[in-house]
Amino acid sequence: MATPSRSLADDIRGRSDAELIDLVLARPDLARPAPADLTSLAARAGTRASVQRAVEALDRGHLQVLEAVVVAGDAAERGTLLHLLGTDDARTVDAIVQDLWRAALLWRGADGDHVVRTVPEVLGTAVAGLGAPMRELRPSSPPEHADPDRIRAAVAEAPDDARAMLERMTWGPAFGVLPTSTPGRTTARWLLEHHLLVPVSTDRVAMPREVGLVLREGRLHRSVELTPPDIEARPVALVDAAAGGAASECLTHLDELAAEWGAEPPRVLRAGGLSVRDLRVTQMTLDLDPEHTAFVVELAYAAGLVADDGEVVPVWAPTSEIDEWSSSEAGHRWATLAVAWLGSTRAPHLVGRRSTGTGPANALGPDVQWPAIRAIRREVLRELASLEPGHAADHTSLRRRLAWRRPNRSAAVLDEAVEAVLRESEWLGVTGRGALSEAGRALVAPLLPPPAPSARGGGSSTTGVATTSNGKRPARARADRAGGAADIPSTAQPPPEAGAVAETVAAAMSAHLPSPVDHILVQADLTAVAPGPLVGGLGSFMRLAADVESRGGATVYRFTPESVRRALDAGWTAADFTETVRRSSRTPVPQPLEYLVADVARKHGQTRIGGAAAYIRSDDAAVLDTMLASRDLTPLRLRRLAPTVLVSSADPRVLVDLLRDNGFAPVHEGQDGAVVHAETPRRRAGSRRRGPGPMVSPVDRPYTQSLVDGLRAAEATADQRRVEDETRPGPRIQAMDPVVTLSLLRDAVADRHGVWIGYSDGHGATSRHLIHPQKVEGGRVRATDESGHEKSFSVHRITGATLES
Amino acid sequence: MNDGPLIVQSDKTLLLEVDHPNAEAARRAIAPFAELERAPEHVHTYRITPLGLWNARAAGHDAEQVVDALITHSRYAVPNALLVDVADTMDRYGRLTLTKEGLADSPEGTRLVLRTTDRPVLEEVLRHKKIKPLTGERLDDLAVVVHPSERGTLKQELLKVGWPAEDLAGYVDGEAHPIDLDQADWHLRPYQQHAVDGFWHGGSGVVVLPCGAGKTLVGAGAMAAAKATTLILVTNTVSARQWKDELIRRTTLTEDEIGEYSGARKEIRPVTIATYQVLTTKRKGAYAHLDLLDARDWGLIVYDEVHLLPAPIFRMTADLQARRRLGLTATLVREDGREADVFSLIGPKRFDAPWKDIEAQGYIAPADCVEVRVTLPEGQRLAYAVSEPEDRYRLASCSDAKLPVVETLAKQHAGEPTLVIGQYLDQLHEVAERLGAEVITGETTVKERQRLYDAFRTGEITTLVVSKVANFSIDLPEASVAIQISGTFGSRQEEAQRLGRVLRPKGDGRTAHFYTIVSRDTVDADFAAHRQRFLAEQGYAYRIVDADDL
Repeated sequence: MATPSRSLADDIRGRSDAELIDLVLARPDLARPAPADLTSLAARAGTRASVQRAVEALDRGHLQVLEAVVVAGDAAERGTLLHLLGTDDARTVDAIVQDLWRAALLWRGADGDHVVRTVPEVLGTAVAGLGAPMRELRPSSPPEHADPDRIRAAVAEAPDDARAMLERMTWGPAFGVLPTSTPGRTTARWLLEHHLLVPVSTDRVAMPREVGLVLREGRLHRSVELTPPDIEARPVALVDAAAGGAASECLTHLDELAAEWGAEPPRVLRAGGLSVRDLRVTQMTLDLDPEHTAFVVELAYAAGLVADDGEVVPVWAPTSEIDEWSSSEAGHRWATLAVAWLGSTRAPHLVGRRSTGTGPANALGPDVQWPAIRAIRREVLRELASLEPGHAADHTSLRRRLAWRRPNRSAAVLDEAVEAVLRESEWLGVTGRGALSEAGRALVAPLLPPPAPSARGGGSSTTGVATTSNGKRPARARADRAGGAADIPSTAQPPPEAGAVAETVAAAMSAHLPSPVDHILVQADLTAVAPGPLVGGLGSFMRLAADVESRGGATVYRFTPESVRRALDAGWTAADFTETVRRSSRTPVPQPLEYLVADVARKHGQTRIGGAAAYIRSDDAAVLDTMLASRDLTPLRLRRLAPTVLVSSADPRVLVDLLRDNGFAPVHEGQDGAVVHAETPRRRAGSRRRGPGPMVSPVDRPYTQSLVDGLRAAEATADQRRVEDETRPGPRIQAMDPVVTLSLLRDAVADRHGVWIGYSDGHGATSRHLIHPQKVEGGRVRATDESGHEKSFSVHRITGATLES
Repeated sequence: MNDGPLIVQSDKTLLLEVDHPNAEAARRAIAPFAELERAPEHVHTYRITPLGLWNARAAGHDAEQVVDALITHSRYAVPNALLVDVADTMDRYGRLTLTKEGLADSPEGTRLVLRTTDRPVLEEVLRHKKIKPLTGERLDDLAVVVHPSERGTLKQELLKVGWPAEDLAGYVDGEAHPIDLDQADWHLRPYQQHAVDGFWHGGSGVVVLPCGAGKTLVGAGAMAAAKATTLILVTNTVSARQWKDELIRRTTLTEDEIGEYSGARKEIRPVTIATYQVLTTKRKGAYAHLDLLDARDWGLIVYDEVHLLPAPIFRMTADLQARRRLGLTATLVREDGREADVFSLIGPKRFDAPWKDIEAQGYIAPADCVEVRVTLPEGQRLAYAVSEPEDRYRLASCSDAKLPVVETLAKQHAGEPTLVIGQYLDQLHEVAERLGAEVITGETTVKERQRLYDAFRTGEITTLVVSKVANFSIDLPEASVAIQISGTFGSRQEEAQRLGRVLRPKGDGRTAHFYTIVSRDTVDADFAAHRQRFLAEQGYAYRIVDADDL
């Protein structure tokens, strides 16, 4: 244990290397950019932004203990904490306090634990729904007003309606608007007169913290949940079969999407994304509900199978990767999707939602990017993985568990996201009938903590788990913001190779995918039933040659004149077509189908259409003969369509110029046949291509180790300088990191201490001032200077500060 | 993965591989809750709909049986979402019940009450704008009074919002009338008896039997069970006569006890057979024959061909909820999609025949359907291309190119009873002239028509040319060859009905032939494509040949 410290900085300087590494891994934002020394590390750990992030990452158990520590005040007894929490589980509370210390939200002084000064700010005035203390609400009030015994006596003699009013405010919010009705006012007046409420403005009142605590009978929380709530699970059968079926169907959907978009790629909207209309077209093609369609589209995007092609008129088209993907073994195809889905920061369930001020979010658009979904997805899967294999979670209890893990998230948003994740994993086949499939388990395995935490032995298993996940979450938040860095388990082992994971996942899924079939059943109503997923070649033929009518374990295709024409357009001949169907069909090919193919083939190609950039027409066929024969005109690639018409693929202007050079006298004809004069065209450059997003390397153990080594070295240098400084007389002001300055100033405000500051004026000259800071906010310090005048200093101009000795 | 004959699709269709050894067992297992949609030669398609599931529920099946049937026979894993959906949907039936309850203060008086086992459901439905006005006083948390006249409308609206009510309020007995089956020389087939029993226990509902399986006898059986005055609603006069003959032959009813209420006659007797058409005839904006429904205290109302029931009859039926109603049909699928109204107003499905059994008894005979394609001569093609869309069908249908084909076909089947069916009169006359046959149209007198039919039946003449109007409204004799030279815009259902009439199983086991002559590359061919699909889905063999290849 550390030697008694006087501040957070002291505490941190006193920590062992292992403890420092734990701290940085738990709060990786401290490491970016690398702090110069342990003092800056401590200062950064005390900044509002960093503390906020750390507090947001706490689960409900840790948050409740932290709130209790804040309310109990500095160096509180353990008994006080237990009383506030209304529990006698000292072991759990101690373990959680230790976690909070490890995350540097508490520091340990000689007298006990202290909350880092910014923590109460982050928690806000209403800690656990309590109001501010009496002293803060009314600095002028005598201390006896805050005395619990007095309050208890006052409450005991309160009239019924007054007590009812108090009860309404007991569990927060501890603020209220004064009633307008006369009896209401009378009640409020009684409470104000007895100092159970305190006015904060002309029409608002607040309940002081002391009163709240008395009404809550000394308890801080209505219900204390130090350990995670249980997930109710029920056993389900046929999990892997169901997941395999879903996975197979999901692959079919992507194949269809690729076929559809490969033929007719939809436009990329100017703001990015896919238009609502195009999504609906895709939805009709895939025959899915809108959310499922959005999921399929986003999945293809996440897996890099479709992308913006970056052309002048950009479209969403299948990427070159899709060809390799399509021809891989089904298990690998699935693994690619599953791994991409797990790492994706896109939330398909937001598609179509209306965010404030804009239209509905478009699939593949920027509004669907929501980094938090990645963490939620992983968390959901991790919870599912914690269940017995073959058990499905009850959704309500699962949502409750996740809400416990993230008490700071809006419950509605979280619940919605959790439900969306559960739906998506069912569609994808990560779960089957609500339980994690074998392949799903293989996918999640790298995210799970190893069975026994290596760094800390002895802690109870519950808190062990809580610590691990607690420690991990900021790391993830950080990685999310960076947009794609790998997740960092807070364990010593490096994460398994991504390729290896994909292999395991593919193998796990392969066993449960329905085996592909190589035949179809063709019927007289011009439908063909594929009683399972079709083998590659036959699958693409059927997608081309027939329209899909129904999907699932089997696929029902219907041959229509349009679909047959599509196949002929793609180069199939009627004979090949019929022969392929005959070969693949287990049933005799019905006569109407043969007739249909022959009938469509008969008409196919009756009319021909081609493209030409320009035509040449002349009533004198001999002139055209000359042109065709001319060697100089060969580059124009003239072709005769009729005796008096030639076409060329060259631009009309080029044609005119070249013909003139060769002694002809052509004129340019407009669309209506009249002679026109060419205009000078205006040039435009193609749109700029966007580069890839920034890549951030993760804050992992090796990195942290080297960071801490650096800090130790810097600390040694700093110590040496400190020794040198102390030998010099008079106050010296060192140049300091602004966050260090800020925390020093805050300390000074709290302790009502004078501070020497170095201050650079508008011309860059630095002057020294002894000030008594009163408030630090909005980047400014309000203080009284030596002459007693109140002044305001910009923090960014303070070069350094030191406490008045 | 087991090797079942059934594949469950994500769009809630079930594919049944007919040639699979377990296909029959699977068919029996899914028949109670899934509707057969298509029955081509190899793979049959069934569909699971909420109505189908509720029908199964009304017939006493529970979700577990349905899920079990799917899992047992399915080749691949059944999507969980579908199973959950099945259970949820079935669970919705019976949460609300309509009951008749005695009044505490007056022992004789009763009132109709909508009761629930689940308060939120009642709260939810009562919040609907269209349902609230149909209910009266709130009795307690779980019950609300319903005005008896709103019984039908309420059931319709409840079904629309997805909470079908189980109607347990019972029926009036109606005016008693002795009716018995006269089974001296025949007996109800077992499945017919099951159908009657199923209906009688359910009180009201629909019996589904394929064409030719003896629906009339089920009706007669139901009447014998009810022993009360009966109103029978049928599609047309032909059908009315058939019903009458059948009832006289099979029951103790005499001719005097059976009345016909149609355009021609207006008799109201203990058993009255009325056509849908006469009931829906409007005079000065009001239904002229609505009184028929209240003319007697009917104890039973029989609806023939429920899938053709016209919309106004539904509205009238909504007011007849206290009377027993029997619907008879070959299919629950309606072209207009009003299956839900059949369910809520007539009642749930009470019996569905094991299709295969009846087929084995030889009731459904396959016919050879051939589509003959003719190429329009160049002049007609041009005329067709530049014609207005509304003239195109006529131009394509009446092409001269069809005439030689009719002649060839008639020659090929010389001596067999042949009907040539068409829509356009000039075309029919032209064909008749070429074939030397007689024409029957809507203008032909009844007497003349009767004479020609008799001659046709006796084999005196072998070829008749009939118009659409004629073949629709009269008792067309059976033929073994039908040649359709111009089709109709009517629904596929209607067309199949007519085909069925022509293509009755032949006594001597000969195959019936059905030819359609179609002009290539025109709207005529588009209609033919629909016909082809429908016939193939019904399991008929279908071929397309070029006129030149005949």
